Order: sequence, then C-alpha cells, then structure tokens
Amino acid sequence: MKPTVSLFIAAILTGSSVLAQGQRIYRPEDTTRAKELNEVVVTATRTERKLTNVAVPVKLIDQRTIQQAGSLRLRDILQEQAGLYMTNGFGAGVQMQGLNPDYTLIMVDGEPLVGRTAGVLDLNRVAVGNIRRIEIVKGPSSSLYGSEAMAGVINVITDNSFKKRLNTGLRYGFGNPDEGWALPGSRKSFDNLDFSLQGSTTIHKIGIQFFSNANYLDGVSFRPFSTERVPQPIWRLTNQLQLNYRISQRTKASFSIRHAYDHIKQEFAVSNNGAVTNSYGREANKDLNSSGTLVHQFSDKVKTALRLYATAYNGSQVLKFREIPDSVYDDEFRQHFYRAENQTDISWEKATLTLGAGYAVDQVNSTRYDEVSSRKQNTIGYGFAQYDWSPSEKFTVIAGIRYDDNKLFAAAVSPKLALRYTVSKKLSLKASAGRGFKAPDFRQLYLNFTNNAAGGYSVFGSIDAVKIIDELNRLGQIAEIREDYSKLKQLTPEYSTGLNAGGTYTPVEPLSITFNFFRNDIENLIDAREVAVRSNGTQIFSYINVKNAYTEGAEMEVRWEWKKFFQVNAGYQFLYTADKADLKKIRSKSVFTRDENGYSRLLERREYSGLPNRSRHMLNLKFCYDDQSFFATFRAIYRGKWVVSDADGNGLYNSHDEFADGFVLFNLSAGRQFKNGIRLQAGMDNALNYRDVNNLPNLPGRMFWLGAQFNLIH
Amino acid sequence: MKNTIISALALAVLFTACKKDKTITQPADPNAFNVSVSGKIVSVKNLPADTIVGLVGGQPVGVGKYSFFNLRTNTWVANTDSASANWDLAFSGSTIRINAGTSGPAAGGAFVWVGSFDNLATIPADSVFKTDNYPAYAITKGSGKGWYSYDGATNLLNPIPGRVLVIKTANGKYAKVEILNYYRGGVTPSASATDEVKTSEQRYYTFRYTFQSNGSTTF
Repeated sequence: MKPTVSLFIAAILTGSSVLAQGQRIYRPEDTTRAKELNEVVVTATRTERKLTNVAVPVKLIDQRTIQQAGSLRLRDILQEQAGLYMTNGFGAGVQMQGLNPDYTLIMVDGEPLVGRTAGVLDLNRVAVGNIRRIEIVKGPSSSLYGSEAMAGVINVITDNSFKKRLNTGLRYGFGNPDEGWALPGSRKSFDNLDFSLQGSTTIHKIGIQFFSNANYLDGVSFRPFSTERVPQPIWRLTNQLQLNYRISQRTKASFSIRHAYDHIKQEFAVSNNGAVTNSYGREANKDLNSSGTLVHQFSDKVKTALRLYATAYNGSQVLKFREIPDSVYDDEFRQHFYRAENQTDISWEKATLTLGAGYAVDQVNSTRYDEVSSRKQNTIGYGFAQYDWSPSEKFTVIAGIRYDDNKLFAAAVSPKLALRYTVSKKLSLKASAGRGFKAPDFRQLYLNFTNNAAGGYSVFGSIDAVKIIDELNRLGQIAEIREDYSKLKQLTPEYSTGLNAGGTYTPVEPLSITFNFFRNDIENLIDAREVAVRSNGTQIFSYINVKNAYTEGAEMEVRWEWKKFFQVNAGYQFLYTADKADLKKIRSKSVFTRDENGYSRLLERREYSGLPNRSRHMLNLKFCYDDQSFFATFRAIYRGKWVVSDADGNGLYNSHDEFADGFVLFNLSAGRQFKNGIRLQAGMDNALNYRDVNNLPNLPGRMFWLGAQFNLIH
Repeated sequence: MKNTIISALALAVLFTACKKDKTITQPADPNAFNVSVSGKIVSVKNLPADTIVGLVGGQPVGVGKYSFFNLRTNTWVANTDSASANWDLAFSGSTIRINAGTSGPAAGGAFVWVGSFDNLATIPADSVFKTDNYPAYAITKGSGKGWYSYDGATNLLNPIPGRVLVIKTANGKYAKVEILNYYRGGVTPSASATDEVKTSEQRYYTFRYTFQSNGSTTF
C-alpha cells in the first residue's frame, strides 16, 4: 500500500482523527432572522466565522430547509437555490455563476469528492438525510482549496452532534409522467422509495454516529411507443459512520467513513443515422471516503489540525447489444485520491493567520485510457496562507494565497483579497477578487476512446494524441489533418479571475435584501477540438488550451418574515456569458446569420447569446409557514430559455438558433411535527407536471410523496 | 321556372367561380422542385441531390448519382448530359462539383467568398478560381471549410450564412450562388427530430443565384 495509506491507518489506530470543520451547534428553536445573524460558516475562510462577518458571497442551507422540502439527494435541494442550475449530461452537475460543473469543488465535511464523468460530479451521489447544513461559497476559492474551486465551493456538512438518539425515516413517492395523477401500480407509473436510519450516542467520551440510507427510483417511460425508460431504474445506498474522541481538554480526534453505492439498470436505444442499436446492461458506481482528523489547541491563540483523507471511486458500465450478440461494452473507471494536510490557525485579538500545507496523490485507472491495469498518477504538493484582519467590528480584510505544485502540469498560484465594511445597521458591503484554477484532468491527458455506438468518432488525450495520429497517418488511415492539430501540446491549468461585489441591505427588520455583482474571466479553457479526420470520415478529437470566455451577472435574494411563522424568500440571477473568440469574429464582421427569407446578413452583437446551455434569467421563490408543530412550503423554480444548438450554422450561438423553452417547476410540501418525535409529511414535486423529453430527460413528471420520521430513542 | 333557371345558372356560375378560385389559390407544393425568376435573381427549391435510399454499414447512402444544373438556362440537366458543357454545378449529398478539372469537360471554376449575397457586386480582381481535382474540390468539402457546417451532436447540416459560391460557368461567364438550405421544403429539421426524419429530409438543395450573361464580373 501507499505510504499515505499507512500513515492514515496509523492515525486511526492511535485514535488521532477528528472532523475538524464545522463544530457549530444548531438550535432549531431560534427564529430565522436571529439564527441567520448567529450562523457560523467554515468554508469561506477555513475558520469558524459568523455568516454576517464573512467577506465573500456565502449561502447557507440548513437541515430544517432540507427536511421541509423533502429533499433526498443533494441535487434536489441545490436546484432550489437561486443561481445554481442543475445540468443534465453525465448525471446532475451544478452550474455556478454560469461556469460548467467542472469548475465547482464539491466537498463532504471539507474533503473533496472525486469520480467525475466528463467533468461532472453527479450530485445525486450524495444523500442529504444526515446533513446539518450546506455551505455554498461563490467566486474563485482556489486560494484555500486549490484545483476545481474556480467558480466556487459547495461543502456538505454532516450532522455530528453525538447526542443520544435513533431515528428512522421512510418516504414513498409515486407519479405518472403522462397523466400526472395515476395511482401507483398502474401502467407507466413510477415509484420512489427512500429509507434511512440514523443514530448517535456518546459512550465513555467516544461520540458515535451512523447513517444509513437506501433509495430506489423507478425508471420512467416518457416517449410514446417506446420502451425506453428515462431516467433508468436506479438503486442507491449510502452508509456513514463517524467517531469522535476527546483525548483531552485540548485535543480531539475524529474519524469518518462513508460508503455510497449506485446501481443503474440500463436499457436504451441509440439511433445513429437511422440505424438503431439496442443496448442493455448496468452501471454501478461505488464511492468510499474515509477521513481522520486530529485537532489540538496549543493555547487560546494557536490551534492546529492534521487531516488525513483517502477516497476511492469506482464506476463501471457493462452493456450488451441486441443487434451484435457477441459484443460486450465493458467500461471501468477507478480513481483513488489520498491527501495529508495540516492547518494551523494563530489568532490575535483582531486578526487570524491561517497557515497550511499538504500533499496529495491522485490516481486513475480506466478502460477508456488504455488498459485498466495501467495507472495514471499525479502528485500535488501545496501550501497556503491567509491573513484575516478586523481592525474594528465594522471592517474586515482577508488576504490569502496558495501555491500548488503539480507533477503533471505547471504550478498554479492563487491569490485572493476580500473586504467587508458595515456602513450602518441597515447596510453592509463586501467585495472580493480572486484567482482560481482547474488542473487538466486525466481524461484530457490520457483518454483513448472510440465511440462505436455513435458513429465511430474518437477522442484522444493530449499526451498521446500526436503519437496516435502520426501512427494512423503512417498506416494511411488519416484523410486529413486539421488546423488545430498543430496546437497540440502539453496542457496547462485553466484559470479564472473573479470579482464579486455586493452587500446586504435591511431597510426594516424582517426584510433583508442581499445582492451581488460578479464577473469571471476565464482563460486557457481546455476545449475538445477536431484535429484529424480518418479515411472513413470519422472525426478525431483532442484537447487544447484555447478558449477564453467570461461570465458576468447579478444575483439578488430578498427575505421577508412575518411574526416568525411566515417567511418569503425570492432569489434571482441575471447572467451574461461570452466566448471571447466569438466576440472578436462578430467585431471583425465575419459572422452572418439569415433573415426571414433565409438570406445571409451580418450578425449584430446584440443577437449573440454567449455560451450554450445557460439561461439569462433564473428565479426561485419560496413561501414557508412554520409554527414548530405544523409547516407548509410552496417553492417555485423558474429557468429562462437556453440555447441548445447552432441552427443557423454560423458556428456561434445567437438569437436565431434553437432554444429550449423556459420552464417553471412548482414544488409543495406540508407536515406535522408531533411531541412524541413523530413527523408526518406529504408533498408534490413538479406539481405542474412540466416535462421536456429532449432537453430535460431526467426530469420526471409530477410526483406525490408521503413521508414519516420516528424518533425511536430521544 | 325562369327563376329556377336563373338560380341554377347563378349556382353554376358560383360553382365555376369557386372552382376557378380554388385553382388560383392552391399553394404550390412546398416540397416540389421549382425554379422561379425575380429580376436578376433565380431561386431554386428542392433540387434533390442523391437522396437517401438506405443504409450501408450503418451509414445512409443514396444511389450515387449527381443532379446537374445549368445556371445559364435555369434548368435541371439530365444525367446523360454529364460529359457536356451543358451544366455548371453538380450536386450529390454535400458535395458540389463544377464543370472543370476532374469533374467535367468545360473550363469552369469556383471559389467561396465570405460576405452576403447582395454585397458581392463585383468579383474582386485578385480572385483565384479553383478547379476540381479529385479528391479535392473547388468548393471545399468538410464541415466549416466550404459552404456548410455539420453539427455532430444534432446530426444536422446547415449552409454557413455569409458564404457565396462564385462560379465561372461552363461557357466562361460568371455567376454568384447562395445555398439557403439542405433539407426538403427549405427547412432544417429541429434538433430534437428523429434521425429517421433528419435522414429522409436531407439532400434537397434550396439556393438562389445571379448569372451575368455578358461575361463581365459585375452582377
């Protein structure tokens, strides 16, 4: 085994692990507003800070919000947050501030999840039943977290109060995408079952907590006259165990192990130029995360935390084809990630200095690269420093920098500066500027994949592309070398420079308005480009650092509360994006579109739509009544139209192209909390039964659900 | 009696009128091959170009024939005339040949000009006309390189707006051509249309052109 693993095991055996991040106590009896003022976040600065004192845009989602919405997976609750859009390919990814899912770091208790497909980390992998809160930090955060934290960070913090309790929850959902109202068991209806068991206690200073969840979602058949089920029937299992041990007044150790398993039964047809291939088989994904932390408080001023983390992700897909009986498609992807890290915080009366350093090993084996037995490896050594200074209650300055040294790619330096100023009781302002990066991933370096199910195109990673194409050329199998072939070279990280400026305005006490303006300039983006064409006409793609783009916009959230029971939340995001090469072409008057007669004319700048799959307007609205024994919520999600294909053939997206329709989802829920610890809940997701088979294939129709939670011991 | 006759006559007239009306307003079949002339501009609709007849090895194929077109007489020329100077352009799938080089006996030529059809008033003096030299063509094949762009994700082919095919005809005169659409009826199917639709509707050219019969390079 790897030295890191041995170290890790040693740490566990000596009982020296702890869950460092997020040691705050949640008080459900607090009123929302008071609670908000006292809320503590850890993700923004890697130290505990009051939400109101943080200088970067942070959004908190608490346990009660998750429970009331009846959310089961991370995707369910994130899609109800303004400015976060769930993408559809390769699982549910999150688009933040208009950046692709590749650029948002997803963490559980401060440790990153690995195992992305085409850059997307499927948010359905994370069950939310044991989550105490979710912290969302927007804007480049690589100064603290390194690669992937280019658009922001989502940190899922699990419940670890270690109070004596045992609860179980059961939820049953059903629906029918065609009629919307059919009873379970009838033709074409689908079921959703969710069961969880959760308990914690403290025995002899050892805190123990476990969580177990099983979820089944039936496949849904949308298309008339088709047996194809979208989404596919899926089983998900999650288990987590956390241990906590207070060695002394000053020293605390904790350990966590989490296992998640997904099994998807697959049966689908791929049609290529009218030739249909029916595939059937299964996809299985396993996720294992273990972390150990040791925290020691040397004095009131100095605190240090040693964190060890090991994670393994294993995704596999086995498919057979009805038309080609002897052929089997066997795809396997295994990723291992190990990390050791130390963070030391030195606090003075008005300032905190945070210093950290770490070492990580990232390994991938995949049939899509070459042999599954061949391992690709990258090692990363890094160090970071942050100085957090509050000369007065009103003013905070945070300056931070991180250096990441990659074995496989160029090093990256990520600075950040953030300011917060309380103008008055009614108004506080914040501004931040930072740089983020994303290291090229293994896929972009090593992929060696030919998609025979979709016409036979190939994608080769940048490291071997030239070698493979030259060899094919020697064998006379290349018809044409494209211009981009000459640009193939060693990949470098992608960078973003982000600016965020905003604040909170509270005109009268129960009403508050939070606003933020953002701009992200993204350089050196890695794009898959056609580099050669085979003699049989199939294309060969590889990856090149070519694109420069930007996203900019504004987000706003309005909260209003009435007599502590009734709460209204409205969120809105306005977004502009552009590929800078497109803008240059439009400026040089070399891009045309067609008028109503189909005749060519120059494209105007105002007709340009920017990057695809992005909505200019996104709106979320939530009404919530909660008197501690009864609650009801109504949530609306609106996403404006977005461009899906270049219908006028001019190579960029504009108002003459094909758009997916904007849509509204209504989700409802209500429940009753009884004194004996029983909670009963019912709800309806997608009450309007909105469906769009082509553009939102994973959105099932209207679903009704009933849930119950029992406190077995409390 | 008289009244009845008049009524009958009136009815007959009415019926005839109706019938006549109907024939006048009946719209032309939007999917039919059609050539119309309006001033200097000739519009061609639904010129089939080796339309799909089946699949071979999973790839859609036609019978492998070209459709020949004469820009001087505005006519679709019979395949038996392929070895003559009686045609200027030949269409098959996304390939457009000119009557020159390896494609035909005449001394035609062509190049792709970037700009709008109306803005090409005079062919620039420094223009270079290319000829077909199999497997290369004067009107370059390939997505984004000649007159069209193909989107692999949607399996749709569209003419790139702002591309004018400048043609030297078989008799040495000049014409400018703008390809408007590649699908039957002049409408590209929606990205979400089935592959069956995208396959059966493709390879029908809609284009417009201006032919300058006096031999000058000004249209």
